Amino acid sequence: MFFRQAGVYHTKYAEDRTFFPIPVDRWMVSALLLLSLIAPFVFSSLALSTYLLPWLVWTSAVLGLNLVIGWAGQFHFGYAAVMGIGAYTSIHANRFGIPWELSLLLGGCMASFIGVGFAFAALRVKGLYLALSTLALQFGMDWVISHVPAISGGTQATLQAPPVYLFGQLLDGEISFYYIALAWCLIVTIFMLNLKRSSLGRALISVREKDFAAAVIGVHSFYYKLIAFATSSFIGGVSGAILIFTFYRAATPEQFSINISIELLAMVIVGGLGSIIGSFFGAAFILLMPGQMNNFFAWLAVTLNAPLGIETLSHIPNAVYGSMIIIFLLIEPMGLGKLYNNLRDYLLVWPFGYQQK
Amino acid sequence: MDIIMLGELAINGALIGLMYSLVALGIVLIYKSSSVPNLAQGAMVMLGSYVVLGYANIFNIGIWYAIPLALITMFLLGIGIERVALRRLAGRPIIMILMMTLGLDIFFRSISMSIWGGTSRPMKIGISDDPLFLGPILLNWAYVIGAGVALILFGIFVFFFRTRRGIVLRAISDDYTASWSVGISVERGVALSWAISAVVATIAGVLWSSVQGVDQSLSSLLLKGVTVAVLGGLDSIGGAVLAGILLGIFEGVASGYLDAIVGGGSRDLVVAATLIITILIRPHGLFGRHDIERI
Amino acid sequence: MENVNLNSKNINEKLISIKKPMLELNNIEVIYDFVSLAIKGVSLSVPEGSMVALLGGNGAGKSTTLKSISGLLKAERGEVTRGDILFMGQSIKQMPAQERVKLGIAHVLEGRRVFEHLTPEENLIAASVVKGSLAQMKVNIERVYSYFPRLYERRTAESGYLSGGEQQMLAIGRALMTQPKLLMLDEPSLGLAPFLVVEIFNIISRINKEEKLTVLLVEQNALAALDIVSEGYLIENGKMVMHDSSIAMKNNPDIKEFYLGGSAGRDFYKIKHYSRRKRWLT
Repeated sequence: MFFRQAGVYHTKYAEDRTFFPIPVDRWMVSALLLLSLIAPFVFSSLALSTYLLPWLVWTSAVLGLNLVIGWAGQFHFGYAAVMGIGAYTSIHANRFGIPWELSLLLGGCMASFIGVGFAFAALRVKGLYLALSTLALQFGMDWVISHVPAISGGTQATLQAPPVYLFGQLLDGEISFYYIALAWCLIVTIFMLNLKRSSLGRALISVREKDFAAAVIGVHSFYYKLIAFATSSFIGGVSGAILIFTFYRAATPEQFSINISIELLAMVIVGGLGSIIGSFFGAAFILLMPGQMNNFFAWLAVTLNAPLGIETLSHIPNAVYGSMIIIFLLIEPMGLGKLYNNLRDYLLVWPFGYQQK
Repeated sequence: MDIIMLGELAINGALIGLMYSLVALGIVLIYKSSSVPNLAQGAMVMLGSYVVLGYANIFNIGIWYAIPLALITMFLLGIGIERVALRRLAGRPIIMILMMTLGLDIFFRSISMSIWGGTSRPMKIGISDDPLFLGPILLNWAYVIGAGVALILFGIFVFFFRTRRGIVLRAISDDYTASWSVGISVERGVALSWAISAVVATIAGVLWSSVQGVDQSLSSLLLKGVTVAVLGGLDSIGGAVLAGILLGIFEGVASGYLDAIVGGGSRDLVVAATLIITILIRPHGLFGRHDIERI
Repeated sequence: MENVNLNSKNINEKLISIKKPMLELNNIEVIYDFVSLAIKGVSLSVPEGSMVALLGGNGAGKSTTLKSISGLLKAERGEVTRGDILFMGQSIKQMPAQERVKLGIAHVLEGRRVFEHLTPEENLIAASVVKGSLAQMKVNIERVYSYFPRLYERRTAESGYLSGGEQQMLAIGRALMTQPKLLMLDEPSLGLAPFLVVEIFNIISRINKEEKLTVLLVEQNALAALDIVSEGYLIENGKMVMHDSSIAMKNNPDIKEFYLGGSAGRDFYKIKHYSRRKRWLT
């Protein structure tokens, strides 16, 4: 009833291809945008820097991963390695003297370059084997960062991030960091939304469905798979760099290890393969849940007077996290995005029953 | 590096490789029966070993009573995994099933750590510590026994897949829907394959624990197991044997040379490199099936 | 229709022996993914020992109808939300697919779906587990080879490499291994050369007569189908729109026009206009 499609007529092609043809969608998105812009003044500083900021950056990374997994249908189990490449490159570039914005771009380009170089070889195979090769990329990256001090920065393997200068202005404090993350997240979201109605998006979808059929109609599938890898690696590299510069402020090898790759995959699955709004949901869910569960178990232990050892408690988040992947795959394999779409479909035809397809 | 040392590295490597094949056997079994690549195999090896120890400690019984109990438990666990985790995902895109096995892997690892803690425990199954000499070459009894068990199990399973039950399992891995349409119970077949695989994982776990103790590091056998499985062909049992021997020899000899140069840790690197090269040159491995795509 | 056994000496048998339909669909409705309606109000009745065709264009709901009978809807997240399915008088709506195969319903899937990495012989063996001993299996395999000699010649090849016609034969043979009472075929002529279509349809007729097997044939190729069946149903846009004997359907001018290509010499605009205004009155 609110999601009424009746009365929505288009008189121009441009109107027909807008992002949100239904008015309700437009209102909701405008409200969210407004909220995000005034967020620093609405939310506490703690909420801003520990919840909102990482959520936005991780969402951008998840969107990039969704591009290659959900849209192009290629597996990528080594996305954290890609983010790491971007992060380390931009830090070294910035330390070297290159201005911050350019070093971000340089990080993205380096990640893209290595991503494409790797993809050139790896895309000869599909499915499980592609997944295993990207896994091997991840292991290789882990090994290189730990064993090459020139990259990882000294014996402690911690690389301090230099202060952020945007167009010459020193940016400090959470508010400015928040706006940087917001800006990047908006850019990536708009890119992904636009993908649906562009020829690149259509090509990627055709490659995902059946790549040899796509080749038959003139979509050069290898080329488009490479483009998907290049673009998503760029997004991943820049997201990784922004993550370090605005959130962690220092780079260590564990931040881009295999566990993070799995965490990113969990975000994609929980959010929904190929779903843009799902990426937001998935990132939020995976970021928040383990912490909440940890609190819950600690509270439970105190209430039941059964103290859990430190070691047990430290492994609970991981156990929760693994079980969340399992539970989500069982309840709704297409993720939170699909749940949202189901709700939306239901509201679209409410109070009527089924859509005739 | 003289010939004797080379020989020693190679032969020990081959024996270790056969023990890797035991882990790979679990992966191949599941893939051959349900078309699912099981990335939780390493965790199952670890879990199986912990369960054996658990029975031995809780009921204060000898290890040789605990092992059969653990085998039964893990068999039931395999059936349980199919019932709870896999049944709903039948027919979904493979990435979801892969993620499900990854989720199981994370879950099993952290649950084991929460319950049993991180310290390493020994598993004594009565293998003598005396050195075994084959001419001038020093061998480890544990490796020899492990390799022997692996070969016996392989023989059993090669025979099994020629029987009617085995053919049904292979049919299931080809096409779930077609299997349903001729009355095959896909659910029972998949459950059986996971249950058997869990039992094999436990056997592998017991053998490996007798060498390196029971702790977290057992789950990193996954990388070796997957590499052997891919190298041999994901659905070929014989391939897993040969690939295990080859990888074992290669890893032993290469890391013997490389460790001196790189300063340790090269075994994993060698294995990862083998995995990448296999995937790039010959993804279906030595004896695996090509995926037939009729256009 | 009732078939009274006129040869029976017993007067009661003459009057009472009513051939119950082997399969009966009563007004079923199928929904996919909880929101998409696929077929609605579909009713169908297949008498024992007969051959019945279910015709219709692309996306009409023919495969959905077959899947609801064989129980394979669950694999595609569909379910029967209204109506009932009766097989030999027994409601099978709640039964899982495996039970239905045991009862005697065999479904040859669209696009063959043979077990590609198994040989034809192994395909047949795999289908034999649901019923019967090892000895019975050997007998059944011999019977399948007698219907499809070409399969015997290729029995050790890898099934994925068989030609389309051979795969179709294998799929039908595999269904026969389950010793069915009702054989349902989903578009067996799909992608086959015309002479192969004739050959396979002849074999299907033979199977119907020799094994006394009831056959429900779903086809887009209405011409070939109507040649071998005794009655036909027509489904369009998820609704059943016609049911008649095959001869009547072949001569029905509307069927001729829409499905048998009999609109020679008419203006395309006039045809389109006519089909839009046409209401099915059966």
